[in-house]
Amino acid sequence: MAGANLQSSVNLDLARSINREARQDPTSPYAGKFVGIANGCVVVVADTSREVLRRLKEVEPDPKKCCCIECSADYETVQEIWGVL
Amino acid sequence: MAMLQWPLRNGRPVVQVVLTLTDGQSLVRDLVADTGAGTRDSVFDLILDEDDCLHCGGVPADTVRLGGAYVGSFPVYFVDVRIPELGFDQSIAAVAVSQVPLGFGGIACFKFLRRFNYGDMNDPDRFCLESLACP
Repeated sequence: MAGANLQSSVNLDLARSINREARQDPTSPYAGKFVGIANGCVVVVADTSREVLRRLKEVEPDPKKCCCIECSADYETVQEIWGVL
Repeated sequence: MAMLQWPLRNGRPVVQVVLTLTDGQSLVRDLVADTGAGTRDSVFDLILDEDDCLHCGGVPADTVRLGGAYVGSFPVYFVDVRIPELGFDQSIAAVAVSQVPLGFGGIACFKFLRRFNYGDMNDPDRFCLESLACP
């Protein structure tokens, strides 16, 4: 379990690094793309999340060892959910 | 263009989506349609129960910070979502939460709804989605 958590952390660190790069530099090869990461390595860069998930399933069947990021998306700004609960 | 409509549930608009479990079986979820959930530019389309995200083999993304009805940092997963009657079949981002609105399987957020024409389509007791015209 600890190994899986470490792997997830490595994937997420890489994903965040790519996200920062793509948002700061519109000429980055990642800008506007989706990236798939498995076991700490970028394994696919594609225009759609569907293509990324398809490729990730081929490379690493355990989704816990994978990560998908929308490179130019803003994951930091607080998103408001108006009350429905 | 295909159109699909659902009767209001508990007086609220609802849309029905199909998720796919890791064993290939379908998992149907009725989501409250909420244009006040997120914005056009949000990184997520849906809010789902975290168990559903995991049971459907959701691929982790980053976390996202929410305010309002949900407060804090929540994980985001990419999951395969279908509405077969509308020909919708895409991998989209869902925020995973531990508590969804009572009587619903989650929330269809504004970013998801605007993938379609949406509204009551002249029947105030129903909620409709209509596939967009192809560009």
